[in-house]
Amino acid sequence: MAVLGIGFTVAIFVTMMALVQGLDSTFVDTGQKNQLVVIRQGSQNEVNSYFTRELFNTVKFLPGVAKGADGEPLVVGDNVVIINHERLTGQPSNVMVRGSALAGLPLRPEVKLVKGRWFNPGLREICVSRSLSLRFRNMGLEDTIHFARSNWKVVGIFEAGGTAYDSEVWADYGEICQDWDRPSYSSILLRTENEAAAEDIRKRIADDRRINLQAIPQKKYYADQTSTSGGIKALGYFIAVIMGIGASFAAMNMMYGAVMTRFKEVATLRAIGFRRRNILGSFVAESVMLGLAGGILGCLMALPLHGISSATANFQTFSEVLFNFRITPAILLRGLIYSAVVGLLGGYLPARRAARAKLIDIMR
Amino acid sequence: MKFLRLLLNNILRNKRRTFLTLSSIAVSLFLITTLLTVLHEMENPPSTPESALRLLTRHRVSLANILPMSYRGKIARVEGVEAVIGSMWFGGVYKDPKNFFAQFAVDNDQFFQVYADIKLPADHKQAFVQDRLGAIAGENLAQRFGWKVGDKIPIQGALFDFPLDLTLHGIYSGGGDDGSTLYFHWEYFNEGMKRLFGGGEGVNFTGFYTIRAVSADQVPVIAEKIDALFLNTSAPTKTESEKAFVLGFISMMGNIRLLVTSICSVVIFTIVLVAANTMAMSIRERVREIGILKALGFRKGQVLSLLLGESVLLAVAGALLGSLGAKFLFSGARLAAATGGMITRINVTPATLALCASIGLFVGIVSAGIPAWQASTRRVVDALRDVD
Repeated sequence: MAVLGIGFTVAIFVTMMALVQGLDSTFVDTGQKNQLVVIRQGSQNEVNSYFTRELFNTVKFLPGVAKGADGEPLVVGDNVVIINHERLTGQPSNVMVRGSALAGLPLRPEVKLVKGRWFNPGLREICVSRSLSLRFRNMGLEDTIHFARSNWKVVGIFEAGGTAYDSEVWADYGEICQDWDRPSYSSILLRTENEAAAEDIRKRIADDRRINLQAIPQKKYYADQTSTSGGIKALGYFIAVIMGIGASFAAMNMMYGAVMTRFKEVATLRAIGFRRRNILGSFVAESVMLGLAGGILGCLMALPLHGISSATANFQTFSEVLFNFRITPAILLRGLIYSAVVGLLGGYLPARRAARAKLIDIMR
Repeated sequence: MKFLRLLLNNILRNKRRTFLTLSSIAVSLFLITTLLTVLHEMENPPSTPESALRLLTRHRVSLANILPMSYRGKIARVEGVEAVIGSMWFGGVYKDPKNFFAQFAVDNDQFFQVYADIKLPADHKQAFVQDRLGAIAGENLAQRFGWKVGDKIPIQGALFDFPLDLTLHGIYSGGGDDGSTLYFHWEYFNEGMKRLFGGGEGVNFTGFYTIRAVSADQVPVIAEKIDALFLNTSAPTKTESEKAFVLGFISMMGNIRLLVTSICSVVIFTIVLVAANTMAMSIRERVREIGILKALGFRKGQVLSLLLGESVLLAVAGALLGSLGAKFLFSGARLAAATGGMITRINVTPATLALCASIGLFVGIVSAGIPAWQASTRRVVDALRDVD
């Protein structure tokens, strides 16, 4: 039963870590090498960044920007806005809407259309990620939702492989600007010819006092948002430590019981020449093994959670971010180490008690 | 009652085991108390009679959309509105981007009418209202950064590209937030915007309006009236009570209730297992003793209740130890400083304590149930014959 107890403790630990992992990898997996996100200087992310159309053209024609098959620079400028929309449960939440252009699709190979078609420039049409369409009201294909000043028709559903784009609604840049009465950009995404060109452009933008912008490698831009999971991570470790203490007390109880019922055996072992440290070692090993058995059990209990999707708020952008629980081998290994430590803590004192068994005890 | 001594002696028979069981129950209940209390605090934002009088008006699309300042006069004329102020999120940085806290640019003239529940000496209020560059800070915030009245507080712009150079005129308590907000003058904010944009677009706006109603029963009516007023404008509004607004914000964080309750139930299940293990061990050791008790004339029910009583006493004691320990620990801890302003207070309520005690009761009964039942229904002969 103590094994089962350790098992549950490990299951909680693994679950919390899987949550953190899922949330983190949503951001870490987003973005391509050699691409830069350009936002206003001083802004932390797209949502609180804005700059003029002139700046977009300046950036677009910087040397070092990669060109597509058609000879046009691989650059897309977005206007990112937030809408407040009802979930299926009726509770409203903030959703990020990206006013973008289809020319930007090659820059975001993560995103694939799975149903319907892309939005048409010039029409109030949106494409919604599949995860959002399953979580929010009226976001299925052919549905119409109202936000800002217009009715927007859902014409396509896309998937983004668990990246941050899975928490977004996409529409045409011009339509978003019109509806929001905000003819500006929030961010620019651009591909550079190579790593050196990326660094070059980053420096050039940083040094040019006239353009009040900053360019961040796309990978880094998203990795920086992993701080979202900081609170949950802290909570996870807090729970793990407290439950670990409780579980090692339970293990200690069990091991004391085991030592006491086998006291005569232990004394016999001593009598036939086993040393104290052998006995100490064998009991500690027994306890660690029991702990590990609990750990394996706990990992098995947590495994079905893998892939379950959930959502939380990204407090940098104040919008909803969807993620999947992700159980990786590294997390399972950490769960096992954790259970072994619980076994070790629980087993040491009882083992020491056993090692102190006196030969005289056999006589009783 | 006369069996209480027997019960206590039985509990103390194996002091080490009792201690370990008690500790593991206490530690688990400490965790449950903490989680439940944090959940409770999140779902029940501090509410005062004053906060029931307040409404918030924001842009219908989302809080990130701005409202023209001209709305203020129109809202003020709505029947039942006593005072109204605009609030604009500044989102600046104090020294380091990690030092995150809320900064609001507010209308100073009616600020203390809307937030009548803010506690601040009258001369501090006066100083704040009169100084264009003045600011007031919540007590938790001031504690976190060691601010004193009269300190200069430089804030760098992040959202808006200009710095603020504020002077702290007061450290308030109360007021419906968690005491970790910095308020400064909207006029000062707007001046910065004017410098940035040179008039025209981008000035004279605010993020949302905070309204104080004449009486609480008028709140829903006022909300409807305000939203009707701006329905067909370029910036339609959504007005709701302060409490609904805060809860909406918290629900964005996802299903925290589900997370907390599932963790708690697994924890409870785990302690049932742990306690059951202990009780089974301790009853197994005493089979003969129980046989003797029955031979002496104790009835089945009496034996059962003795054993259950033992387990319940142990579990409830452990539960109370954990919960009261949590209450004691958190009342003394400086949480705001320890968690970087994430959690400003954990106040364990009597209801949570009662819940934890009943969890203890539940654990005690369930864990000892089967072994106690088996032991008490065993035939005396079998019990006496039992050799360990």
